[in-house]
Amino acid sequence: MRIRIRKRVVESKRKIILIKIIAVLSALLADAIIFLFMNVDPLRAYYEILRAAFLTEYGLTETIVKFIPLALISFGLMVVFKAQTWNIGAEGQLLMGAIVTTWVALNLGFLPSYIIIPLMYFSGFIAGLSWALIPSFLKIKLHVNEVLTTFMMNLIAQKILEYFVYGPWRDPHGWGFPQTAMFPENARLPILPGTRIHYTTLLLALATCFILYVLIWKTTIGYEIKVVGGNIEAARYAGINIAKIVFLTMIISGGLAGLAGVGEVGGIKFRLNPNVSPGYGYTGIVIAWLGGLNPLGVAIAAFLYSGLLVGGDALQVAMRLPQATINIFNGSILFFILAFDFFTRYEIKLER
Amino acid sequence: MANKNTTILIVAFIVGLLVGTAIGYFIPNPGTVPKSEYDNLKNQLQEKEALISQLQDKLSKLEGKKIKAAFIYVGPIGDYGWTHAHDVGRRYVDQKFDWLETAYAESVPESDAARYIERFIKEGYNVIFTTSFGYMDPTIDLSKKYPNVLFFHCSGYKRSKNVGTYFAEFYQIYYLNGLMAGALTKTNKVGYVAAYPIPEVVRHINAFALGVKEVNPNAKVYVRWIFSWFDPNKAKEAAEALISEGVDTLAFTEDSPTVVQVGQQHTKEGKQIYTFAHYSPMLKYGPDTVVSGQLVHWEIIYQDILMKIYLGIYNNTNLQNVDYWWMLREGAVELGADFGVPINPKFVPELKNKVLDHPQFGKISVYDLVMKRLAQMKEETVLFDPFTGPIKDQNGVLKIPAGERASHDLLWSIQWFVDNVVGEIPKQ
Repeated sequence: MRIRIRKRVVESKRKIILIKIIAVLSALLADAIIFLFMNVDPLRAYYEILRAAFLTEYGLTETIVKFIPLALISFGLMVVFKAQTWNIGAEGQLLMGAIVTTWVALNLGFLPSYIIIPLMYFSGFIAGLSWALIPSFLKIKLHVNEVLTTFMMNLIAQKILEYFVYGPWRDPHGWGFPQTAMFPENARLPILPGTRIHYTTLLLALATCFILYVLIWKTTIGYEIKVVGGNIEAARYAGINIAKIVFLTMIISGGLAGLAGVGEVGGIKFRLNPNVSPGYGYTGIVIAWLGGLNPLGVAIAAFLYSGLLVGGDALQVAMRLPQATINIFNGSILFFILAFDFFTRYEIKLER
Repeated sequence: MANKNTTILIVAFIVGLLVGTAIGYFIPNPGTVPKSEYDNLKNQLQEKEALISQLQDKLSKLEGKKIKAAFIYVGPIGDYGWTHAHDVGRRYVDQKFDWLETAYAESVPESDAARYIERFIKEGYNVIFTTSFGYMDPTIDLSKKYPNVLFFHCSGYKRSKNVGTYFAEFYQIYYLNGLMAGALTKTNKVGYVAAYPIPEVVRHINAFALGVKEVNPNAKVYVRWIFSWFDPNKAKEAAEALISEGVDTLAFTEDSPTVVQVGQQHTKEGKQIYTFAHYSPMLKYGPDTVVSGQLVHWEIIYQDILMKIYLGIYNNTNLQNVDYWWMLREGAVELGADFGVPINPKFVPELKNKVLDHPQFGKISVYDLVMKRLAQMKEETVLFDPFTGPIKDQNGVLKIPAGERASHDLLWSIQWFVDNVVGEIPKQ
């Protein structure tokens, strides 16, 4: 008897979804064993996570709060990954968005909010976009691998952020602590009362989902992006301007990450400090893949993943389990989904 | 014959009662006590009785009352420093008070702190300790949303009627370490590996440098920032760089024992390096290099706060001015690289042999000077403060006039180095 692995000729949507569901179930099964070893009823643990993330009003609003930056970033990464361009720099692009927005909020606070808030979004978008332009330029002109440059740009952005909050922008009334002054009231994004949801950013994220769907499936540019991603030689042969596609997709993804940065400082923190993002830029990479690089899929993945992050607290707060349990839980779900991804592209047959 | 005895007792009691009543009826003359005084006494008795029942009520409530305290930690409880030390404090009070129930959440990112706090409140926790500076804004925001919950924020400066602040401060100990460093250095170059240029760290470097200066006016303190609270690689790089520049004594503010390990390595290879531990007992990482260090006792502060909440001294209306800034006097901090070992015995003879002519104490060994200063700062009235003028900054500007002690606010926001420090603070 032999085992044969063959690449699937047709990747059926139905099968892909089925395989993903099986992957999640296997992950839950594996975690159940771990929970049992810790003397915890796995069903109760799962219920607590579910309840904390989706089944209470508070949990749901908090899931949406997390969804906003993660969705914006992963939508952008979806586009750039489709063109087989590897932007690992969303974290830095988010930070640059946050930094420039902070400058606007602190220096142009005299403007009425209907001017300054659009201006904050705009400047954040431009900042993230510009930060993505540097590695794009290096890739196109000097053929420098963008995986390295985008990643290194993250570290530089963090250093720039630290320079400002430890140096010139330090709040003069903040006893020397590394943070800027609070944003003036009119430079704070509107919030749904009783929650932390800055709904203008949420609307932007949802609009982005729709726009990107149209861009990728209904326009020539979208077609070109897919061709460049599918087969770069074919694209070149067909006369597609590859540099243009790389720049465009990097710009979209950098700009959207910049918007996420605007939301974090303008809608959550109301000031800049060294800990703007708990790694949203990296989590976005995972979500873009989990969502199968398709707008609806990414939106769903972002929502569920946000729930996973939010529901994870229940393990600490309600179940009194250590933080490491959450990491194991989230990690195993990722591990199984990525491992099972293999089966969506290959089929295994037993032959006698 | 117990029954018979009891009967006799009861009979005797009744007889006594009757006789007593009779005597009482006849002997005092009711006419001599005015009615007003009688009423007055009766009123007083009633008042006292009311008070007693009130107190009893309170007591029984207290006996049934549970305080549920939640701790929000920035790192994992298994780190070698900050969060671990707070968790030692939490476990101490949890075990000590049977009316207290505690819980914690570890590795909570700043942007998620609000959610964790709110979840604990929804689970019925009524006292919240937020143990990182970055949690300040969410703590204040939630204190408005939940006015019946008591909050205590560690290391911040914002308070309100239901938010107090607390901090275990090390500068006195850094000064004591500085005394020893100044005495031990042979090269007159003392190094300092520093995390971030925030007032807390600047203050500690200054206190350390003031100690160095007191015993060795020729020595300078060389500062290297690593811009991280925990980064063994950068700490190692900084320590090695300082040593290669001729430094033979190292202090640091960073949450790993790296600097001590570097010192141990060099000492083993034949070049004696003196180091001072930070935050956790690190003697075991460098038995041949660690001289002393700083240790924290958060449990002293947690115990005081929780006891006062339990007794009703602290409530949700009176925390506006509750700010713990506890040091040696209160026992919130300790000198040493291990609990109960103020100075590594290996270096005690050297410190005892080093005698200097001190303006205040005359001829005195550095060992005795350290012990004397330690005792002075432990005194109820705190007989000595390292930040006593005249103190000049690096540019020679007099910052604290002769004879004056630095105020809490000056130390809390200090952004300049004393004159024997070599290094820069990023400009604002």
